[in-house]
Amino acid sequence: MLSLLLWPAGMTLEFLLLVRSVRTKTLTKYLYFYAYIFCVFGVSAGLYIGRSLSPAFYDAWYWPTQFATLAIGFAVVLEIVRQALAAYPGAERVARLTSCAVFAMMFCYVEWHVASRTEWSTVAATVELERDLRVIEALVLATVLAIVFYYRIGLGKNVTGMIVGFGAYVGVSLTTLALRSFLGPRFNAGWGDLQTTSYFFALIVWTATLWTYSPNPKPPTTERGDSGYDALVHGTRAQLESVRSNLRGVAGS
Amino acid sequence: MIGLFLYLLVGVGLLVILWVLARRKGAPVEGCGKQFVEARQALRTLQLGLLPKNLIQRIFAREDFRYVMATSPGEIGELFLQERKRISLMWVRRVRCEIRNLMQFHLDYSRLHAKLSLLTEIRLALDFTLLLLACRALRILLYVRGPYGARTMVGVMTAAAGRVCASSEKSLAFLNPPVLESFRRNSAGDGAAI
Repeated sequence: MLSLLLWPAGMTLEFLLLVRSVRTKTLTKYLYFYAYIFCVFGVSAGLYIGRSLSPAFYDAWYWPTQFATLAIGFAVVLEIVRQALAAYPGAERVARLTSCAVFAMMFCYVEWHVASRTEWSTVAATVELERDLRVIEALVLATVLAIVFYYRIGLGKNVTGMIVGFGAYVGVSLTTLALRSFLGPRFNAGWGDLQTTSYFFALIVWTATLWTYSPNPKPPTTERGDSGYDALVHGTRAQLESVRSNLRGVAGS
Repeated sequence: MIGLFLYLLVGVGLLVILWVLARRKGAPVEGCGKQFVEARQALRTLQLGLLPKNLIQRIFAREDFRYVMATSPGEIGELFLQERKRISLMWVRRVRCEIRNLMQFHLDYSRLHAKLSLLTEIRLALDFTLLLLACRALRILLYVRGPYGARTMVGVMTAAAGRVCASSEKSLAFLNPPVLESFRRNSAGDGAAI
């Protein structure tokens, strides 16, 4: 019931987001993000119209379109990485390498998990696949956020909104999918409502934070030669060693 | 069951990180000059304020305690010991704080370098973490053993202070634009103009 109420409301917010993106000229700035919103809006509208015409249409198209939007969801992660770390090549490099490592590890784990299954059920497999993809999104997002915190990178309202909205949706989806796998079909009603509500929450956050263009604060401009980094690392190491020997002296005496 | 727990952990963990992000106040985006001054200030505090030979000798000098105990009643000696312990703990806390400042200085600059090495950064992060943990351990040690648990510290500290000075100057040298350098040379002796 709740899902049925939030469905048209969500589509309205998606449409509003797309209209605002044209009005504020942010469509090209956050292209991947709006491509995701456009796809979800198209799928939602298509399913809504199809459902009113024939319930069988909805049943036949729900899972294929769900996977399509799930895959396109990676565009939001990509946009977050692109926008949050664009001005910080060093931090961006760390994020890229660690995200690739996380992705590769999770992909291997999912492959192994699927290959080791003795029984096969389409519904269970689809739920588990969605859950595993959400885990990858969650871990990549968490990695990027850890780097943002570690390097004290300032984020603008737009990117913060993208992260909070998408992260909340992914976090709630992952938690409910895990519970769905454990509790089985009796959790279906709660699962559907929670997922829809979390996506609606994400849409509210996105509408509020992307209403106007608010870019990330610009980092200071410095000389960024390769020799500069080597000198910095060398200097930091030397300082560390000095302070460490100080403390060793105090502790050992 | 373990799988469920891990998935829930990732999901709830992400929500907690988002909560921290939403509560975070805007990260400071300092200009080069400000960072430069802060890094130099952190080094100067370590070099001149926290690690000078006479200061450390005075904080951890057992002679002072012996003198107080010999010339005053026991309660005065007890009070003196408490005060010295408080000062030594405060000293470690300040050293830790300045190490954090140096770490921040490194991060503020390394994040801008396209040729940053992931392995080097991980190693440095571990080094800084271990050093900060060592400070914590030292604090506990001083808390438990008191300010006179140290004996051979003074010589090591003096030598290390010199090394900190030299290496820090080297590390900051490449950040000194020629204009700033000449400005610094022309400023007052204590470099207060920068």
